[in-house]
Amino acid sequence: MTAHLDLHDVSVSFNGFKAINGLNMSVGKGELRCLIGPNGAGKTTALDIICGKVKPSGGTVTFAGTALQDLEEYEIARAGVGRKFQVPSVFRELAVSENLEVARARRTSVIGNLRWDIRNAGREHVERLAELVGLTEQLDRPAAYLSHGQTQWLEIGMLVAQDAELILMDEPTAGMTAQETRKTAELFARLKGKHTLIVVEHDMGFVKAIGDVISVMHMGQMLAEGTAAEVEAHPEVRRAYLGSGGISHA
Amino acid sequence: MSSNVSTSNGLQRLTAQLAPLLIVCAVVFALPVLLNNDFLLNKVARYLVLGILTISLGLSWGFGGILNLGQAMSFGLGSYAMAMALKLKTIPVHTGASGLPDFMVWNNVQQLPWFWVPFRSLPFAIAAGMIVPALVAAALGWFMFRGRVTGVYVSIITLATMVVINLVIIDQQSYTGGFNGITDLAQLEIFGVAFDAYGRATYYLVAGCVLLSLLVAFAFTRSRAGLIVQAIRDHESRVRYFGYDVALYQIFVFALSAAIAGLAGMLYTVVMEFASPTFLGVQLSLSVVVWCAVGGRQSLVGAFLGAVLVAGMQGALSESAAFLETWTLVMGALFVLVVLFLPKGLAGLAQVIWRWIVQRRHASGSVAQGVGQTEGST
Repeated sequence: MTAHLDLHDVSVSFNGFKAINGLNMSVGKGELRCLIGPNGAGKTTALDIICGKVKPSGGTVTFAGTALQDLEEYEIARAGVGRKFQVPSVFRELAVSENLEVARARRTSVIGNLRWDIRNAGREHVERLAELVGLTEQLDRPAAYLSHGQTQWLEIGMLVAQDAELILMDEPTAGMTAQETRKTAELFARLKGKHTLIVVEHDMGFVKAIGDVISVMHMGQMLAEGTAAEVEAHPEVRRAYLGSGGISHA
Repeated sequence: MSSNVSTSNGLQRLTAQLAPLLIVCAVVFALPVLLNNDFLLNKVARYLVLGILTISLGLSWGFGGILNLGQAMSFGLGSYAMAMALKLKTIPVHTGASGLPDFMVWNNVQQLPWFWVPFRSLPFAIAAGMIVPALVAAALGWFMFRGRVTGVYVSIITLATMVVINLVIIDQQSYTGGFNGITDLAQLEIFGVAFDAYGRATYYLVAGCVLLSLLVAFAFTRSRAGLIVQAIRDHESRVRYFGYDVALYQIFVFALSAAIAGLAGMLYTVVMEFASPTFLGVQLSLSVVVWCAVGGRQSLVGAFLGAVLVAGMQGALSESAAFLETWTLVMGALFVLVVLFLPKGLAGLAQVIWRWIVQRRHASGSVAQGVGQTEGST
């Protein structure tokens, strides 16, 4: 399998602190990759580099043959990269349906978007999306009124609406109930294959439920890669998690 | 839900959103019938023009999240464009054979400056009155929004830019009339219709422009681009990661807002019969912010009514003997009260009252289908 996304020798430093130090990672097309690691391992920074929020000081990021490291954020998004943030980021004053409309970025130019949707052509699509993430009842309410879990779902729904080839999820189940987490796992299983996903998570139960291959980061570097059983048995991984009660309690 | 139902829902929403706009415009057009006083009509026309200016600020502030404290800059530029054209129309009646505006003759200018020449054409002047402010705003916006300048820094930069242009106009007396502005203008004449500042024609011209500005702004906010601009106001970086070039959208709404302000400026010259550096002064610019906040910045009609009502009150208070000294205090108190208790302005209050009425009607069994579900955010 050729790599869909390839990070080669990527480094980034914040005021001299090397948050990422020679990171290598490659993810195949349609794969669902879980990214775990102790606090401060650089997981979120790795996602930031892929989506352009942080510019790497060295190394290359290649996605579907395109070098991403020198592109602007919106250009990276147009290349097919979607990102869900750790802090749920939605448009609070817009209705849920409008949030999903904005995310459906088929056209991105200003002039191209100077159009009215009198016939409400996108409505059906939006309703399907809302059903997928369980927000049908909330469709016409402002996003500000949603609960924390629902806000997380809305942002996930927005990423599905964006229909990016590569979806980066930063702690998608944070603040969700056990039932909501289970539904999220089902949704991710459906997205896998059609989209390539990278999911940063702390919840090992969730990771085991969805992930084929797990990548473990530590101190800005890739520590180990493999199935859940493999990484749990990996001596370096055990050492990295030492004192925090092992990988399952991270 | 079948697409047929959602289409009629969309139309219902549209009508509900357009209704307040059209009602307000109908009242504006009907006013001369009730108000048989040319002096008063001129005054109302002045407030309507300020209303258009406030709509333009509502567009960039309420919908785009860009608080432009220098909105009067675009207004002033439009005003001067119109004044220059109307001044040139007075030649050679008011001036000598040299063919220069009177103030240039007094300042020993020998030849009409190059940037005055094209203003001999009225269509050029009218186009310039909107395009020049839009271009200035786009250039300023290019530097600000490409550089990811946000929030209070945008306000400071826009305010400072306006002050600079104001000072340049005052300083270049021989070309701009300096502190006195440009006075003694000819009447605007389009297709043989003369627009006397105290005539009905001028009032209807202003009223037509109110309708036009409201419709253009409404059409923009209802478009997909308008939706994206509102999304940028709520969460700028989130929009960026969906692949939109955020800066371009901000520049667009900033320039559109400036063009509408420029239109208002041109009308102001026609109504006031002069252009003055105070039209791009700090006091007017900040007043617009107050009007917009009082009316409701996220409602175009609200912003318009806020300007007309508050500017009207300002006018009435400053002329009455009792409030001659204290009217600014009254206005300040009003602003503080609205900001504290009505964050969405009078438009927000109207919405709350409307919902309450609809709910009561629902409760008492009568059907008010559809109308009650709309957000009414025109």
